[in-house]
Amino acid sequence: MIKCVIWDLDNTLLDGVFLESPDQPPPANPGLAGLLHELGRRGILHAIASRNPPEAGQYAERVTGHSFAATRCDWGTKSAAIHAIMAELGLTADSVAFTDDDPMERAEVSFSLPDILVLAPEDMSAAAGWPQFSPAVVTDEARRRGELYRQRRVRQEEARAFGGSRDEFLLHSQTRVAIGPAAADDLPRLHELSVRTHQFNSTGTSISEAELAGLLVSSAHEVLAVRLADMFGDDGLVGGCVLATGSSWQVPLLMMSCRALGRGVIDAFLTWICRGARQAGAAHVALPCLISPRNVPLRIALTGAGFRVDGVPGQDAAPDAGASRIAVYTRDLAKPLPELPSWVAQ
Amino acid sequence: MTGDLTAEIRQLLAELTGDARPLGAPRDTALLRDGIGLDSLGGTVLLTEIDRRYGVDIAGEDLNLDCLASIGALADYVAARLATP
Repeated sequence: MIKCVIWDLDNTLLDGVFLESPDQPPPANPGLAGLLHELGRRGILHAIASRNPPEAGQYAERVTGHSFAATRCDWGTKSAAIHAIMAELGLTADSVAFTDDDPMERAEVSFSLPDILVLAPEDMSAAAGWPQFSPAVVTDEARRRGELYRQRRVRQEEARAFGGSRDEFLLHSQTRVAIGPAAADDLPRLHELSVRTHQFNSTGTSISEAELAGLLVSSAHEVLAVRLADMFGDDGLVGGCVLATGSSWQVPLLMMSCRALGRGVIDAFLTWICRGARQAGAAHVALPCLISPRNVPLRIALTGAGFRVDGVPGQDAAPDAGASRIAVYTRDLAKPLPELPSWVAQ
Repeated sequence: MTGDLTAEIRQLLAELTGDARPLGAPRDTALLRDGIGLDSLGGTVLLTEIDRRYGVDIAGEDLNLDCLASIGALADYVAARLATP
């Protein structure tokens, strides 16, 4: 599924070359400007990668009437610009499309970033009809995605200028995390998160609204929803999990939007689950996790929170490439648990 | 071998964080949180870069990610893997 389209400007989003007519820069290409809005309504983000001075990005925002989640206007390679945009937005290459009129630029990007969908501008309007550009569910969070990423840009700029530690910044920016049982209204967004999240997803498989609804009424299960807001904006529902409660707690599914990345939310969520389990008298929390290169951020968070895998196979027993492996990460609740940060609602 | 690798990993950390402090950090400096201060995304970028430079897929092998405990632990792990092809 494509989460972000990265656009070239000259002779792509603009009908001409920005620097060739400084007094009267070229207008937006009307067809592609329309596509910006249509894809934005489906929750797809837009970004700019252009060999131009920075003011070209501001000009493009004015002339298309669309705000971009990230802009890289400089003289480096397009692949370097795309790398920077992916890092800024927390995206993986297979969720990004790039469009440029110059076949050399398209070849350079295809060569360095083979997972990116590279398209000529004339193919964009047909591509918009492809399934990769057509999410089945468009939730409120998805419709507001462009706005949320703009808030993220402001937050990141402020964080860079702040100077203090990350925890001090989270307090300063009035971060609020609310964790609690999911309601029926939350299920479309939780399903969407199970489809869209990769870096913070323990199973790598999606869960349907019907399956979630079944778990909601099961006495042996709990479905939790995590909400996040701060003074820059309200991110809404950013994560969740399924719990099987009992003498030991199991977490069959845990997922978190990359929008919450770097904001302490995954660490707080793991602490919340472990403290809840200990309070309920459980001896440990077990979380089966897919071992995949895509969810390394989640596995770093798990080990950082004191989860361990027992009986790790030796290096010589490496499994066949491509086979999916599941390892059970377990947290011993007899060991000390961190306090919940003050900005997490109890 | 480990000594060279420790220096290379300090250099890599300085590049990733855009900060010169890792260059002079002791071997027992933690990589996450209070040490070098990498978060889960920073840790991922580090592991990806180690795999690219040395061909050692830590995230696929060391499921407990004990290598991220310190600069020295990471250097020793990569050195041991390079010594046993």
